[in-house]
Amino acid sequence: MKAVSSQQSTVNSHKTEYRLRLLLVFVLISMLSALCPLLFADDASAELTISANHDHITIDFFYHGSTVSVSGTSDAGTDLIIKITAPDSHEALKQKGKAAGFLWMNLGTLKFENAPNLYSIHSTRKIEDILSREEMDKFVIGYPALNKHIEIIPVSNDEERTKWFSEFIRYKEESKLYASSSGQINTTNQTDKQTYYIKTDWPYQAPPGEYLVTVYAVKDHKVVEKAETKVIVEQGGIVKMLSGMAANNGAVYGIISIVIALGAGFGVGMVFRKGGGAH
Amino acid sequence: MYLYLPVALTSINILIPVGLGLVVGLLSGLFGVGGGFLMTPLLIMFGIPSTVAAATDSNQIVAASTSGTYAHWKVGNVDFKMGFHLLIGGFVGGLLGVQGIKILRAMGNADFVIKMAYVLMLGIVGTYMFIESLRSMRKKKVEEVKQRKESGIAGFLKLLPLQTHYEKSGVTHSALVPIVFGGFVGVLAAVMGVGGGFLMVPVMVYILRMPMHVVVGTSLFQILFNCIEVTFLQAYTNHNVDFILAVLLLLGSTVGAQVGAVFGRKLKGEQLKVILAVIVLVVTVKIIFELTLTPSLLLSQAGGH
Repeated sequence: MKAVSSQQSTVNSHKTEYRLRLLLVFVLISMLSALCPLLFADDASAELTISANHDHITIDFFYHGSTVSVSGTSDAGTDLIIKITAPDSHEALKQKGKAAGFLWMNLGTLKFENAPNLYSIHSTRKIEDILSREEMDKFVIGYPALNKHIEIIPVSNDEERTKWFSEFIRYKEESKLYASSSGQINTTNQTDKQTYYIKTDWPYQAPPGEYLVTVYAVKDHKVVEKAETKVIVEQGGIVKMLSGMAANNGAVYGIISIVIALGAGFGVGMVFRKGGGAH
Repeated sequence: MYLYLPVALTSINILIPVGLGLVVGLLSGLFGVGGGFLMTPLLIMFGIPSTVAAATDSNQIVAASTSGTYAHWKVGNVDFKMGFHLLIGGFVGGLLGVQGIKILRAMGNADFVIKMAYVLMLGIVGTYMFIESLRSMRKKKVEEVKQRKESGIAGFLKLLPLQTHYEKSGVTHSALVPIVFGGFVGVLAAVMGVGGGFLMVPVMVYILRMPMHVVVGTSLFQILFNCIEVTFLQAYTNHNVDFILAVLLLLGSTVGAQVGAVFGRKLKGEQLKVILAVIVLVVTVKIIFELTLTPSLLLSQAGGH
C-alpha cells in the first residue's frame, strides 16, 4: 500500500516567522498523512494527493479576497469531493420573527454550536449520487450532514430546526462563507490515474485563521481515501499592527482615534477658512 | 479601490465610506445633528459588523462635529454656557441610559423597544417640526397664537430656581432646564445608540426658544464632547473602533460638514427646519417598513445597539 502524500507549495515569504510556521504546518501535515493509511487500511491500492497553490494568504491593506486552486492526482474512475472548512466554532445570531401578526423584530438570539465559520464543498458529481448518507454524516460532507453536525439552541422541534438551519445556510451563503458546487472539478485521465483541478474564490469575509482543505476519493458510495492540506490566512503590515493595537492597547488606540478625528476636523476647518468661506 | 479594515475584518470599496461620510457630514454641518441615526444603519447595510459600525460612527462624529463646531464658533454661533449645562445632563443621562439598556436586554426584546422608541420619537419630532415650520413660513398670525399657547410652559420654566441668562442665545432659563433636558436626551441617546442631536435640536428650538443658528453650533459642541467620551470607552472596553474605516469616513464627513455649515448660513432658519423635519420623517418611514416588511434574511449579526 502506498502512502497518502501531501504537499505544500513553496511560499515566497521573506519573514522567518512565516517560514517557521510553514515548517510546523508541514510537519503537522506529514504526521496526518502518515496516519491516513491506518484509517483507510481496508481500501488498499490507491494514491491520492492534494496541494493548494495559494496556501498562505496574507491580508494586507488592499486585500479583497483571493483565489485558491486545489489540485492533485487520484485513482482513475474515482469521484472526488473537495471540502474547505474552518475549525468548528460557535456563533450567536439574532433571530427575526413576526410579533403581533405584523411587526418584524428580533425575537431572540440563536446559538449555532459546532458550526464552522467557513464551509465550502465541491464535488465531481452531485454528492447524493456518489456517497451514502452514512458516509456523508461520518465525514460531515454536504449541507444535510452539516445539519446533523451543527447544534442550534434553542429550538423546540424539528420543523423549527430545519427552518433555522436553512436560514443559517442562506445567511452564510450571502456572506460568501458557505458555498457548494458539483461538476466544477476538472479531471484529466491518464492511464490508471487522473489529475484533478479546481479554482475557488477565497472570500475576504473569511477572518484570519487556519483552514483545512480535504479531498475525498469516493467509490461505490464510500470514501476510499482522503488527503488534506491547509490554507493559512494571516494579517500583515499595517492591518496586523492596527488590529493588534485595537485588541491589546485599547486606551492608546482610542486616544489616537480621537486625536486623528480632532486633527482632521480642525485641518479641514482651517482649509475652508483660508478659502474665505466664513464671514 | 478596496481597502481592508483591520477591526471590522472586512474589505470595502473606498468610495462607500467616503461617500457616506460626505452625505452625513453635510447633514451634520447643516443641522448640527451628528448623523449617527443615519450612519450606523448605513454602515451595517454595507457589511460592517453592527458593533464596529456603532463604535466607529462615534469616532467619525468627533471629526464631523469638530470642523462643524469650529466653523460655527468662528461665526459666533456656539452658546458655550448652554452647551456645558446640556453636557452635564447629557453625561448623567447617558450613564442612566446605558444601565437602562442593560436591564432591557436582560428582560429580552431590547431591540424592539429601541426601534419603537425610534419610530415614536422621530415620528413625533419630525411631524411637529414639519407642521410648525410650514405654518410659520406661511402665516405670521399663527406664530402669535402659538406664542400665547406656549406661555404656559414658559411660565412654568420661569418659576424654577437658578434662573440664568444665556447671552449668546438671548434667553433666560433656570440652569436646571438644559440639565434636565440634556439628561432626558442623554438617556434616549444611549438607548437608541446615537449622538442625540436630532432630538436635542428640536428641544433647543421649541422648548428653550433658542435662535436656530445658535442651536446648530451649540448642539455640535455638545455632540463633539459626548462622542469623544464614547469613542474612548468603546475603544478601551469593546475594542471595536475601526481606525481605517473612521479615517475614510472622516475624509468625507469633514468636507461635508464644512460645505453644510456654509450652506446653512445661506438658508433661512425655517427652511433648515423643514428640511430636517423631512429627513427625520423619511428615516421614521424607513424604520416602519423595516418593522413591517418581511426581511430577506431572518438571521443577522448579534451586537450593535
